Amino acid sequence: MASAVRVCRYTTAAPKLSPRLKNLQLTSTPPDSAPTNPESLTHFKITLRRSAISLGEKKKGTLAALGLHRRNQTVYHPHKPDIAGKILAVKELLEVQNVGAADVRDKTQQRAERRAPKGYEVVGSRTGGMEGV
Amino acid sequence: MFGAFRASHVNLGGLLWKTPWKLSPTRKANARARLKKVDAVIEAVRASGIQCHSLDRALELPKEHEMPARDKYSVFTPHTAGYRKGIHKVPKWTRLTHRTNPKGF
Repeated sequence: MASAVRVCRYTTAAPKLSPRLKNLQLTSTPPDSAPTNPESLTHFKITLRRSAISLGEKKKGTLAALGLHRRNQTVYHPHKPDIAGKILAVKELLEVQNVGAADVRDKTQQRAERRAPKGYEVVGSRTGGMEGV
Repeated sequence: MFGAFRASHVNLGGLLWKTPWKLSPTRKANARARLKKVDAVIEAVRASGIQCHSLDRALELPKEHEMPARDKYSVFTPHTAGYRKGIHKVPKWTRLTHRTNPKGF
């Protein structure tokens, strides 16, 4: 199921279904995400949404200190007072989420997650490939 | 008065940009959405459990739903009658926090 990775990030390990129904299931709503307790959230996921152009060198410097160099760039930082202060200094420009340590991604991992999956998978063919439909 | 060679602001002065006196409903809705996004950032930092001075300062700000419309869309100015001007006259106003005004104005 390598090709389904792009559509489906959750398993569809349901009872045996015909391929057509399986495809339908891929596009249906995902299951509810597991509730996370606040203690397990250890990092800020910080995304730069608005640029600091012409807002002064201090705000630009704050963004650089957070490791943000371009819009829509995402960085992860641990929950620490200095990071919180930097976030609040440029709070109008950012989007912030609290995430667990398992969700922290560096630049390379973020790139890998954005990549389209390689190859393709034959789902059926006109000449009797769709058994059981 | 009429015709191709009539005097108008553009003819007499060249470039003329007009800033509307007040915000349109769409611009006001966008302004509210931006205020809510800033509220969400402060709330995320508060939810992280960290305590710091900058967070205390940020929590003193009124939230979007606590602000009167007067403060959302206009700011204090000493120069006009009524002591108010549209907040869109403030340079960079979409990327600044400007939530409180002098008491009584």
